[in-house]
Amino acid sequence: MSLELYITQQIINAISLGSLYALVAIGLSMIFGILRMTNFAHGDMMMVGGYTTLVLQTLGLDFGWAVIVGIALGGLAGVIVERVAYRPVRGAPEVTLLLTSLAVTYILENLGILIFTSSGRNFPLPDWMNSAFQLFDGQITFTQINLLTVGLTAVALGTLGWFVTRTDLGLGMRAAAEDMGAAHLVGLDVNRLIVAAFAIASAFAGLAGILWAAQAGVVEPTMGFTPLLKAFVGAIIGGFGSIAGALLGGYLLGALEVFIVAFLPSEVSPYRDAIVFTLLIAFLLFRPNGVLKRVQEVKL
Amino acid sequence: MKTTRKNVAGVAVMAGLAIACSSFSSRLASADDTIKIGATFSVTGAQSSIDSPSLNGAKLKAKEINDAGGVLGKKIELVIYDTKTDPTVIASTASQLINQDKVPVALGLNDSDAVLALGPIFQTGGVPFVTPGATSPKLPEQVGTQMFLACFGDNVQAAAGAEFVLNKLSGKNVYLLRDNTTEYTTLLAKYFKEAYEHAGGKIVLADDYKHGDTSFTAQITKLKAFPTKPDVLYVAAQPDDIGVVVKQMRQAGLMQPIVGGDGYDTPLLLSVGGKAANNVYFSTHAFMAEDSTPGIVKFYQAYKAAYNTPPENAFAALGYDTVGLVADAIARAGSTDSAKIRDALASTQGFKGITGSISYSEGNRVPDKTVSIIGVKDDKLFLAAEVTPTWIAKP
Amino acid sequence: MSRKQSFLIVAAGLALPALFSIWAPALMNDYFVRVLTVMCINALLVISLGLANGFTGVFSLGHVGFVAVGAYVSGVLSLTDANKANYLPDLPAWIAAIHLEFLPSTLVAGVVCVVLAFLVGAPLMRLSGHFVSVATLGFLIIVNVVLVNSDTYTRGARTFTGVPLQTTLPWAMGWLLLGLVVLARIIYSPKGRAWRAVREDTIAAQAVGIAVLPTRLSAFVIGSFFAGVGGSLYGHYIGSFSPASFYFAYTFSLISMLVIGGMRSLTGAVVGVVVVSLLSELLRNLERGFDIGIVSVPPLYGSSQIVLGVIFILIMIFRPSGVMGDLELSLGRIAALIHRGGKETKT
Repeated sequence: MSLELYITQQIINAISLGSLYALVAIGLSMIFGILRMTNFAHGDMMMVGGYTTLVLQTLGLDFGWAVIVGIALGGLAGVIVERVAYRPVRGAPEVTLLLTSLAVTYILENLGILIFTSSGRNFPLPDWMNSAFQLFDGQITFTQINLLTVGLTAVALGTLGWFVTRTDLGLGMRAAAEDMGAAHLVGLDVNRLIVAAFAIASAFAGLAGILWAAQAGVVEPTMGFTPLLKAFVGAIIGGFGSIAGALLGGYLLGALEVFIVAFLPSEVSPYRDAIVFTLLIAFLLFRPNGVLKRVQEVKL
Repeated sequence: MKTTRKNVAGVAVMAGLAIACSSFSSRLASADDTIKIGATFSVTGAQSSIDSPSLNGAKLKAKEINDAGGVLGKKIELVIYDTKTDPTVIASTASQLINQDKVPVALGLNDSDAVLALGPIFQTGGVPFVTPGATSPKLPEQVGTQMFLACFGDNVQAAAGAEFVLNKLSGKNVYLLRDNTTEYTTLLAKYFKEAYEHAGGKIVLADDYKHGDTSFTAQITKLKAFPTKPDVLYVAAQPDDIGVVVKQMRQAGLMQPIVGGDGYDTPLLLSVGGKAANNVYFSTHAFMAEDSTPGIVKFYQAYKAAYNTPPENAFAALGYDTVGLVADAIARAGSTDSAKIRDALASTQGFKGITGSISYSEGNRVPDKTVSIIGVKDDKLFLAAEVTPTWIAKP
Repeated sequence: MSRKQSFLIVAAGLALPALFSIWAPALMNDYFVRVLTVMCINALLVISLGLANGFTGVFSLGHVGFVAVGAYVSGVLSLTDANKANYLPDLPAWIAAIHLEFLPSTLVAGVVCVVLAFLVGAPLMRLSGHFVSVATLGFLIIVNVVLVNSDTYTRGARTFTGVPLQTTLPWAMGWLLLGLVVLARIIYSPKGRAWRAVREDTIAAQAVGIAVLPTRLSAFVIGSFFAGVGGSLYGHYIGSFSPASFYFAYTFSLISMLVIGGMRSLTGAVVGVVVVSLLSELLRNLERGFDIGIVSVPPLYGSSQIVLGVIFILIMIFRPSGVMGDLELSLGRIAALIHRGGKETKT
């Protein structure tokens, strides 16, 4: 296969993976920006989205509707978690928030195992989605799922962009992310803003979960775990707390992962995750504000 | 005592401890007129699709034996523990069985890594252990004299697979994909390579993945970029991965036959793989169907009656046979002394199980059994071949 | 209270548990001995975890990475030659030639962890708050990846087995007591006060001349030594493990013990271990299904973890300082209580 075709295929793979990381990273950054909280349970919203869509399809609902409800339920799950677990500890030291989110993810994953068992369940796709475009004599495969991923991500991002620039709620969220105290002072209903942030962030994660399940073909209770960590790295690289940063970081990370495996010698590829996290540590040490400066970091 | 929060909490803890202690003591005070056989199975976790049917088969045989009068005049009692596919729990269960339940013999687990987790504990404890379906032929050497297999070794099924690929599928070049993070798959791939190349086949490309990976785009892209198109894809995979692998390969346009080992013998192959599972073949211990051998057919119907579902895979039959094997050894030993049971096991000749005849030749603790190759066509399983391989790699 | 009296109290405080641990196997069921042994190992791990976390304000999520290193290093060194040939056939000759007994291999594990902690801590201890938590999490993941890929030394992700089962209750208890003594001496000393100053307010601490980085680093390194020791104890207790045994599940388990018991005192850490261990055991047995009178509850595997998680969150909400809070049940306090009790009966 020619090099150009190989690279093109890898670019397609990178965009597909990067979209998923970006969706999750944006949610993480939103929550951090507004609450200064690292939400480890974010990845489980992916699981909620994935299982909801699966269950609804099993009950006979059309794929399209199942996806919409899945996204909505992902958002709802985030709102419920915020209300039940995070609001009571709001204002506590950062570490307490982080630990609480760890406990939440532990509970949610085990709930998933309890209800659905730990083996993967087949994620059904409508027949028209199971085909792929084979270009250049099969050397480039571009599946319907790739198309769906890119399409839905674009729609989500577009909606978000409109939301944070044109609606009161969206502008309020940005204000609160800049300075929570000031937002409070000018009379913004901070609770509403936080709930909105969680709803949107978790809905994005739900969508990412559905797309992830579509690509992998299975849904399983721990599916959100690894993407969460990766998205986290992406968000930090891009600039933690900034939506644009998360977007950029997500795609950068997707590209990095794909290219490590595709172009480096095969002895290196198993260390892909180690490389990614070393990069994380390097950024935390030397450029904690990420590529796009955002967060003020206190360092010694 | 005042009903402060602390006091209420304290009482609750005491009550809880009391319940716990009573549940422990009731376990300890079991009847003395049963013969206890330890049974460790991962009913939850990644191995559950294989261990659950295996345990069901074991329980079925235990019931049949007890209904027929038991062994040495006593009923046999399976002391069952769920090992959760977790090496820590597996090891801890082994200790409990030996030191607390004091079983003279134990059986269970169908994965080589799982058996390795408890093997040394049984070896040091001097209690024999029989695995129904963990197929690493190295286990008896690695663990020691207390370890027995009731199934064939991976070197045998890999050789059978290699012969099937060459003779029945006319596969002259093969792509070998291996999960390099579990014992079973690593060994299976190794033995397949040796047997296949020995018989003149060519492995044109080999690649690895990690157990639990859900994305195989990297490996698939590399394969598609390769100039030679392989005739057959041999994938050494665990039961919870194979459905995903098969699905993604077909999605990428790879339609060649996919061949593998008994890790494919799981309902997950069809439930997760769906249409992608067609043109897949795998080696396993027996073909579970209503038109198989008389022994299997009888088991099939009994299993269905007892559990409301046909046996999910060959591991159900293996569990059944292993209990039979152990009970037979106890009978021949004439006692419940671990050392005598071990010796009786080691001298087993011609035990007729439904998965084949089990004999341990001199010093060997892996039986010679034939291999069934099962294929998938029109979304259904069928028996493609029965193979007794001619050349087998050394363990 | 005179020095002689306080010395006697401390000696008794150490001797009693030690003697108990030696006699225990004869007195009680093997199952309870096993539960106690695990509790001692976990207690050692939790107090060393609490050193950095509770006392210097650096919440390290990478502690279990050191435990893993300890388990594997000591495991490889303790394997018998036969087992080495069986399980690690490609081990380089110079390592294969070493065969250490229990204590030496444990010490080597501890030392290796100390060196590793220096290398890792030097850059990471500059970070604060959740950035250091995330960075240490990265460390945990990197350790996991390296272990999984070092086939020749660790069998990769496959089961590492054959480690001689040498951890008995006396050993576990002995190391725990040693750890308690060492940590107590450090924490309740001027150096320890410096540590707590750093935890409370880094800027104020620097203002009074306490160097923050060396303070945090020393806590991190000392904690990692005991983590390595604990790893060795654990490895020689369970006999078989894999990299997944030392990953997120174990991390969460230790953190929940620390948090529920109380991050800010040694007694809290130990209490947390006892509470969580007993609770886990109880819940795990209930998980298999039980009967209360006529009601039969079916097996609900996985529910014990959910209950534990919920308790964790309740503690975070209602009593974030844990069961013990800042209270330290030191030997001094026990002695004072005894003293006071004696006085009362006299009058």
